[in-house]
Parts: sequence; structure tokens; C-alpha cells
Amino acid sequence: MIVVNYVAAAALLSIGLYIVLTRRNLIKMVMGLSIMEASTYLLLISMGYRSGSTAPVLLNPPAGKSPSQLVNGNVADPVLQNFCLTAIVIGVAVSAVFLSVVVRIAQHYRTLDADEVRRMRG
Amino acid sequence: MTEPTHRRAVGAAIVAAVFGLLVVALTQLPDDHAPLPAVAREAMQVALPRWHITEPVNEVVYGTRGFDTFGETFLLLAAVVSVVLLTRPRERRAERSGEEQIGRQEEAGESSATDSDEREARGAEAEEVRDRDDSPPTPDVAPVGTPRPERAEEMTVVVRTAARIVAPVLAVAGLYLAAWGYAPGGGFPAGAVVLGVVLLIYAGFGHRRIARVTRPASVELVELLGAIGIVMIGLLGLFLKGSFFANWVPLAPEQTIRSGGILQLFSGAELIEVASGLVLAVFSLLVMRHDWSRDESDDPDAGTDR
Repeated sequence: MIVVNYVAAAALLSIGLYIVLTRRNLIKMVMGLSIMEASTYLLLISMGYRSGSTAPVLLNPPAGKSPSQLVNGNVADPVLQNFCLTAIVIGVAVSAVFLSVVVRIAQHYRTLDADEVRRMRG
Repeated sequence: MTEPTHRRAVGAAIVAAVFGLLVVALTQLPDDHAPLPAVAREAMQVALPRWHITEPVNEVVYGTRGFDTFGETFLLLAAVVSVVLLTRPRERRAERSGEEQIGRQEEAGESSATDSDEREARGAEAEEVRDRDDSPPTPDVAPVGTPRPERAEEMTVVVRTAARIVAPVLAVAGLYLAAWGYAPGGGFPAGAVVLGVVLLIYAGFGHRRIARVTRPASVELVELLGAIGIVMIGLLGLFLKGSFFANWVPLAPEQTIRSGGILQLFSGAELIEVASGLVLAVFSLLVMRHDWSRDESDDPDAGTDR
């Protein structure tokens, strides 16, 4: 059933891409990029899931299992959870930089319309 | 704002193609019955014997893939530097804030007020009354890019009391996330929580209460100290144990605050670096001034080439 999550991640990325391609408002473009980032979080977490698995925590394993059994047993993938954390931090950093650029564009050109900004270049 | 239709059609075609490709590619991925990949097994196996830590995600972040986290930290640092550069005002930075004027014009004649809270509240009220006539009714109707910075006013007593109660709890919870390595957490979420505490106080009490904490000169120093700390932790591993981010701290038993060796140090330095970096980025964005734009008053054709 995890395929549903994969397709949902693809759909989220497509929604974000459509917004980035078709909108002229710079804030909406940044929001589209954020949606595209969110799709990677969903994809990474879904890829880490194993059916019927527990969280990758060695403390207090479920009844009848020792930590060493847990290592070889059915747990979610900790490496992909780490990737997701990394992706979130990078998403925050990218959004902050883009938003400061957008504010400067708005201050300088008095508009948030990407087409207006382009027209002024020549 | 009306969008031209050809843009929508072309966009939809490209997006449909990308979606089709992604669905074909992603459905080939291993499903939820596949065994754990080798690297995940490795991480689960070394967490307890090598680092005395029962939280494999934390161990992966700061141990097995510590170098990755190192790169990520400095990416965040680079982003903060970019934001600070892009948002820097032309005037002196020491007091940058939308409420600079309010702070400066604090009532001198209000000395009869008994405590400082009351005096501050009265000063803010007086300022609010004075400003009311020439400011737009809400920030939403102000045209984009007007020179007037948005004024944050102190909230009602309900919000202030709630903030007083929640802020210490939130701060302790955040520090707990970074300090106890066998619980899920680490420096990144903890740094975000610390930013939340600062923003909560800002929202409740206005800028003056946190002005000293968010002064860019000191926050930048703290952030760079955190970054130097992370580099030093890695380099000491290189010199003492022969590899970058090797453990050089004696390991405590698992499920104690010092379990994990340098993992905990790394996480703490990360907390300092992330908290100060996020505070810098958020407050730089909050108080961006109308500085780089053309002044329309002495530029007669500023409005014509639009």
C-alpha cells in the first residue's frame, strides 16, 4: 500500500511544479517550491517504512525482543529519517533566502509580479 | 492577476509529463516488505556498542553520517549569511527593529509609574495614539514597499500571561531535546524550539523585551562560536583518534546524559548554531527596511517605466 504514498509524493511535486511554472506572483512561486520540498519529506519517510515495523529505537523494545533482535528485525529505516531531517533544514534555509530576495524585489520594483520585473530589465 | 492561458497549457503539459515519469519511477522503488538496506542495518548495529546510544536516528545524524550533518550545518550558515547580506540596512545595525522609534521615544515623564512593565505599556500606548492618524488602518492595506516599518504592539494580558507560562516550559523542552541523546531529538529541532521561545516572547511583549537577545552583532558572534565548536569537535577527533568526527570523549553508560560521547557535544554545538542562525534569519526578514529602493520623491520618472 505504500505505493499510494509514492504517488501522493509525485502528485505533490507536480502541484508545486505547476505553481512554479504558471504563477507570476513571486510569493506563490516560493510557496510552490515549499510544496515541492514537502513531497520529498513524504517520499523519504514512506521509503523508510517497513510493513508492521516499529520505530528505530533500541530502548524498551516490544515484548519478547532484545535490542540485538531489533537490529535485524522489522524497524523503520533510520537513515531515511535522517535524510528527511536534512531535507527539512535545507528547505528552511532555501525558503529564507528566497523570501529575502522576494522582499528586496518588492521594495525595488514595487511589484511582486515576475513578468513586471522581467520587463524592467531592458 | 490574470494568467495568460498559453502559460497554463504549457505548464500543464510539462507537469503531466513529469508526473507520469515520477509515477513510473517511484513505483519501481522497493516496497514496504523489502529488507532493511545494509546501511540502515549498520547504523542499527553500531548505535549501541560504538556510541552507547539507544536512538539510531540520532546516532545516524551525528555519528554515522556526521559529515553529512556537518555539511548541512554549514549550508544553513551560508543561507543565514546570504539572508543577513540581502536584508542589511544602510544605517547602523545595532538597534535594527521596526520599533526602534518607540524604544527611543520612551516617556521620560512617566517616572511615577511603579514598575517597568507599566511604564513600557504606557509608553507603547501613548505612541500608538500618536501614530494612529497617519498610519494605515491595517498593514494589509499599506502599499507594497512603503517606508513605514510595521509596528508590533504589546498583546493583551491574556496573551502575555500565557506567554509567561508557556515560554519556560517550551525552553526546557527544547534544551531537553538536545541534551538527552537517547531520546529522539538533536540540535536541529531544539534550535527551532529555541527560536519559537524567542518569537513567543516577541509576539507577547513586543520587541523591546528581546532587543538585547536579538542584537545582530552578538547573535552573529554566538553563531560563529557554534560553528567553530563543531569544527573543533571534528578536528579533535582527527588529531586524537585519526578520523574526522571520531569519538574522543570517554563514553558514559547508555541512557545517561553523557552517553554518545561527541554526539552530545556535536548536538549541543548544533543547537547553538541553529538557534542563533534561525533567530538571525527570522529577525533579519522581520525588520527589513525600505532601503535599497529608489526614492520616488527625487526620481520623477520612477513611476513611468512600470
